[in-house]
Amino acid sequence: MSINSISPSYFRFHQIWNPQLLQPISLRSKSRILVPPRATAAALVTDEQLANSSDLYPMSASSFPLFEPSSPPQLTPASELELADPDFYKIGYVRSMRAYGIEFREGPDGFGVYASKDIEPLRRARVVMEIPLELMLTISGKLPWMFFPDIIPIGHPIFDIINSTNPETDWDLRMACLLLYAFDCTDNFWQLYGDFLPSVDECTSFLLATEEDLQELQDEKLASAVRAQQQRAFEFWETNWVPHSAVPLKIKRLAQEPERFMWAMSIAQSRCIKKEIRIGALVQDANMLVPYADMLNHSFQPNCFFHWRFKDRMLEVLVNAGQQIKKGEEMTVNYMNGQMNNFLMQRYGFSSPVNPWDVIQFSGHSRVHLDSFLSVFNISGLPEEYYHNSKLSGDGDNFVDGAVIAAARTLPTWSEGEIPPIPSLERKAVKELQEECQQMLAGFSSTAGQDQQILESMPEARRTLEAAIKYRMHRKLFIGKVVQALDIYQERLLY
Amino acid sequence: MASVSWFYQDGGLRSVISVEGVVTKKYFNNNLKILLFPSPASAWKFRVGTRSPLSKPLSLPCIKCENTDKEDSFKQVSVERFPYHSYMDSTSGQLEPASGARASIPREDFWPEGTSSQVRADRAPEPKGVSTGKPSLGKKPGSRRKRYKSSAAASKSSELSMVPNDAVETESSEDSPDEAKDLLSEFVVYKTEPEEEELTGYELDKKIGNPHPFIDPKAEKPMEEPLSNEELWWNWRKPEKEQWSRWQRRRPDVETVFLKAMAETGQIKLYGDEPTLTECSLYRARRHIYKEERLQEEQEKLERVGPIAYYSEWVEGWKRDTSREAVQKHFEETGEDENEQLVEMFSHQTDREFRIMMGTDNRIRRDPLAMRMREDQIKQIWGGDPVYPTINYIQDPNAVIDFRGPDFHEPTPDMLDYLKEHGKIITREELEKILAGEKTEQVEQITDIDEAMARAVDIGENDDEGEEGEAEEVDAGDEKITRNWSILKSNPELLKSKGKPKKDSMSLDEAIDDSENLTDFLLDFEEE
Repeated sequence: MSINSISPSYFRFHQIWNPQLLQPISLRSKSRILVPPRATAAALVTDEQLANSSDLYPMSASSFPLFEPSSPPQLTPASELELADPDFYKIGYVRSMRAYGIEFREGPDGFGVYASKDIEPLRRARVVMEIPLELMLTISGKLPWMFFPDIIPIGHPIFDIINSTNPETDWDLRMACLLLYAFDCTDNFWQLYGDFLPSVDECTSFLLATEEDLQELQDEKLASAVRAQQQRAFEFWETNWVPHSAVPLKIKRLAQEPERFMWAMSIAQSRCIKKEIRIGALVQDANMLVPYADMLNHSFQPNCFFHWRFKDRMLEVLVNAGQQIKKGEEMTVNYMNGQMNNFLMQRYGFSSPVNPWDVIQFSGHSRVHLDSFLSVFNISGLPEEYYHNSKLSGDGDNFVDGAVIAAARTLPTWSEGEIPPIPSLERKAVKELQEECQQMLAGFSSTAGQDQQILESMPEARRTLEAAIKYRMHRKLFIGKVVQALDIYQERLLY
Repeated sequence: MASVSWFYQDGGLRSVISVEGVVTKKYFNNNLKILLFPSPASAWKFRVGTRSPLSKPLSLPCIKCENTDKEDSFKQVSVERFPYHSYMDSTSGQLEPASGARASIPREDFWPEGTSSQVRADRAPEPKGVSTGKPSLGKKPGSRRKRYKSSAAASKSSELSMVPNDAVETESSEDSPDEAKDLLSEFVVYKTEPEEEELTGYELDKKIGNPHPFIDPKAEKPMEEPLSNEELWWNWRKPEKEQWSRWQRRRPDVETVFLKAMAETGQIKLYGDEPTLTECSLYRARRHIYKEERLQEEQEKLERVGPIAYYSEWVEGWKRDTSREAVQKHFEETGEDENEQLVEMFSHQTDREFRIMMGTDNRIRRDPLAMRMREDQIKQIWGGDPVYPTINYIQDPNAVIDFRGPDFHEPTPDMLDYLKEHGKIITREELEKILAGEKTEQVEQITDIDEAMARAVDIGENDDEGEEGEAEEVDAGDEKITRNWSILKSNPELLKSKGKPKKDSMSLDEAIDDSENLTDFLLDFEEE
């Protein structure tokens, strides 16, 4: 909130940002990115700040808390959402899957897992969900292909198909085949669980995207990568399901149309967990489709993680040790660490404006002094693990989020021992970088604001279209944030 | 309320008075000598009431069923449970249940590994709520999600659900977009959820709780004929094989299995499939006797033929003549004893032959029948490989092992005769004979002092007392005469003749004739 007074020129950005960032954007039907609470002053913060959180309302010019309309107490991200179908948990409960202290809720953007009660910060990680092996679909990562549970009977042609894939790269094809087979298996859990997976029109994975969506991305590299993926999936379907009419019915009925296969591929790509598990005495990499754990959304500051309990072969979802969880808070996991937005988009079908690993390619020679940049924003930690040190900054500084951290990583910086930065040089460098950013922004065909408006104007858009528009909007937001950060850096340079 | 009855012995007032009221004990003891039945109630309420004394004494005979005027004739104890359920135990210092309950379950810290997660999984509450959707079993993925194409408010407005929603926790289902799509896409709408019919009649009664018969009269079938005894599966007949438990079958001990094996190979004929107890014991007895006979034969052969000839059976390399005469001749020629010749013969024996002879070689099969037995038969008796056992050694753990011999049923023999027969006991005479033959010098035992003194003068002579009453047989022929120097010994009739007149009274002349010398008449030396 202090930012508003400092940089009025970017006020509009902030105004646009806030509602955006706070209504969690989930671009996949099940994935949502939770912006780190610090930046958004969500209701998760203490009560005296609750009154400040005019999160759902556009920010007014004054930031006096008393003038804000009082929001209902305990407004959590969970309270807007509905509980999921009770059968969703019931089918798992009957098969000895357990969820402790959490509930599954559905929103406009899909499923999410929310805490149903406060969780104390203990030194031990608390188990939140445990899913037995029998419910999962697992393939070992390397030859020989081992399936846990072993549902593929010997001699079934699907195994030949799986065998024909490349052991190193085609894990998603194998998972897709296994998933389709599981749908066909009588009394398989996935027959029941499949009803809760995002359907073809809800799935935001770009395997199901059309050319139009790919154009909306405004990123040629990503578009071509996605096209390649689509091509690959389609070819695979063609080779195995189409050609010789003697494709046995067992196989044919698994994927009558290519769309079904593409959908299965998208599910496999976006919901697969790759983990090293130990079964019996064998430790192996496995790609797992885990039923309830895949409903967890992604966050760059997750509060949960996965753990494989080999004793009774359960995948546990554990809350980070020492993490205080309030009722209604969303449980999130870090899907993949250290990847840019375009990878996230390609694999999972979502993007985030606050991806701390986002990269901007700067081409000039101007550099910024790293240490002073970090100290301005109170970012500490090693370059791999930059984090915002709130102890240094005190309360109230909500500007630093994943984007600033990404900026700290991507901006060309210099740092040589004790040599102090020369302010004039720094300012020059900053100006040059800002110019570059502005150029990049101008290179886009629309601004972030326009994108936002487009999004709001078509509520019934296809998910993939939405995702594409959001992707480019996030990109622009990110660049804008970088510019803003450079501004602040400039001002605070002489601290 | 305590009912009191007391009887006046003096024929006076006899009444039954019920006493109710709060009366202190002291009052009772001092004032009322009443026999009271102890009551479990802690508070006694007494109503003291008296009856007017009768005008005349009643002399009704009182039938006393039991001795009720004594106090402790019986104690009235109620059937209530003990008044406490737990008490502070003096040994452990903790609260302990009155009845023998189990020890307390330890805390979570002490549970074995994995228990806490199991307990937590079991304690997790079951999900409540009834779902309105139906699983499509893989056909329509995503069909049970709530779709939010429009904003949340719009979708909450319309409700079109086929089945009345009973869910408490869940909010109203959003089937409207689904149904809109269905209606548009299909011409005919099939009702996937059947309507629930109203219950009538029997079902209604059952649901409400009205009295109703056990079986729905509409669905009732008439009873069939009951099964006969043979058809009943729980019929307690003895099975044909007379075994209802596996433990009753023939225990696979050696005799059984051997008999069975022998029957299979055709050596013997059994009465039935399995050898019976009689056959087993017969076999046992026979085997015992055969063994004994065989051993006896062998023993006799050994004695008859001589050791060298006997053992030469197991020495192939010994080609010489082994008869007794040859051995004797060899002995005369070379002076080698029989034993030495035996040793020399054994030095020609091979290792294998030795092992065969001693019977300690595992590699050489000894029992021809055991060789012919099947593996499972062998396993039945001796079990499988002791290192890697593959079957359970079937044994009756409560079996009493039978050590009786084959002639168990015969009457107990007279031990003495039996032992004598078998040469385990010899008579004293025989023993003496043998001993006499063996010994060269004997130390006599002098029991009579007179004799001792008499003999003491007798230098160098060994007197045999002869009180034992046994005659020493002196083999005059081949036996070595060791007592040539003793006339008495070599002439037993002298001793005998001496022994007799000791007891009888003799005349002087006879006495003088009897005595060896005059010192015989010296009798008492102690007196002097």
